[in-house]
Amino acid sequence: MEFHVLYRPAHSLAVCNLNPNETIRAEAGAMVSMTRNINVVAAAKNPGEGGLKSLFKGLKRMALGGESFFTNTYTAMNQPGHVTFAPSLTGDMIVHNLQGETLLIQGSSYVAAPDSVTIDTKFQGFKGLFSGESLFFLSASGHGPVLMNAFGAIETIDLNGEMIVDTGHIVAFTSGIKYSVVKATKGLISSFLSGEGLVLRMQGQGRMYVQSRNPSEFGATVGRMLPPREN
Amino acid sequence: MQHQLIDTPDFGMLQITFDQPGEKIVSEAGAMVAMDTAIQMQTAMRGGLMAAAKRKLLGGESLFQNTFTSTAPGQRLFLSPGPEGDLRAMNLAPGQNFFLQSGAYVAHVGEQMVLDTKFGGVKGFFGGVGLFMLKVTGPGTVYYSAYGALHEIDVPPEGYTVDNAHLVGFTEGLTFNVRKFGGFKGLFFSGEGLVCDFQGQGRVFLQTRNAGSLAAFLHPYRAVKAKG
Repeated sequence: MEFHVLYRPAHSLAVCNLNPNETIRAEAGAMVSMTRNINVVAAAKNPGEGGLKSLFKGLKRMALGGESFFTNTYTAMNQPGHVTFAPSLTGDMIVHNLQGETLLIQGSSYVAAPDSVTIDTKFQGFKGLFSGESLFFLSASGHGPVLMNAFGAIETIDLNGEMIVDTGHIVAFTSGIKYSVVKATKGLISSFLSGEGLVLRMQGQGRMYVQSRNPSEFGATVGRMLPPREN
Repeated sequence: MQHQLIDTPDFGMLQITFDQPGEKIVSEAGAMVAMDTAIQMQTAMRGGLMAAAKRKLLGGESLFQNTFTSTAPGQRLFLSPGPEGDLRAMNLAPGQNFFLQSGAYVAHVGEQMVLDTKFGGVKGFFGGVGLFMLKVTGPGTVYYSAYGALHEIDVPPEGYTVDNAHLVGFTEGLTFNVRKFGGFKGLFFSGEGLVCDFQGQGRVFLQTRNAGSLAAFLHPYRAVKAKG
């Protein structure tokens, strides 16, 4: 399995080349195109999961984070093939190669990974009470590539110590980094007014990926110019 | 007439420089960015009311097209599509066909070029979306755009599948079939709605973003209408 990210950074497209009978799992809705020998199955996040339990898990994920409902598996039948993926918004995509470590990925940034990577969907997030921002992380562990997307450009930051990251700008970080959700400034009012309601205090050693634009900010800016919806 | 594709790939724009008076280019209504003053602009329903209405209803293109005619040498004209993304030109020999998804057409040069909206040959209730292709027949040059980058694929022997929302166009020599992705269940659960399966010898053009996904992202941010 091999990923190539083309047309970076603004209008990225990820090409996933598969060897015969190799499988990639990807978020529903991310697929742009594929060779005809790809067999597609709507499935759970991990092998072995399925059925009604998985349906409820899917619903829970959707309710908690911006993540889409289902995952599809794409298998190249009998000969090599490829699948291409793209995100909804303008921005870059990046591949993190897991070598046994754990990567925590913001829910809507996760795109695809092979079966050798375990995606844990248990709730690890925090729902912002004041700012309306919600935060939800998936954990990816094992060996192999993990494809992620971002809104805007992706900055890779190697942390050794402490740093503050806005909740709307975090893409992913390795588990050597611990996070806590804190108010950006002291006091409720000033924290709200600064536009940085809740931020992440990242502590430890590891790699972080941050995105140069904030999807919620963009959504709020455009959303208030659109006519109200029925429901 | 000279053409230059500038500001590609993210914000593609077409710059035309007319050499001689009387040279013409036809564009989608609303594509004009700027022009010198010795260019005459005429708005018309190309091909008459019925042909224009068919294009509007079936292909989603606008009812009107503008014809720009130069009345002096050295006149410049800038044209651009709606979405951010790439812009390309395709030269077609006499009788050669090129198929474009509705909305991808920006402009064309060539008085004998024929633009016709074709039904994609799809049955069923779900067949209503984006299955009408604009058939462009040479001689001439057609300019087309994408939302995002333009990705080109030569269809491999086993065939190629494209999400309908990402399809920009394809060359002749290909046959295609539209189907629901992953069956009925797939329509609701997998996120993708309809896909095109291509077979034969030719090239398919894809866009790396689609307007529907952007709209779906923005929808939850709209205010909810007050009840009563």
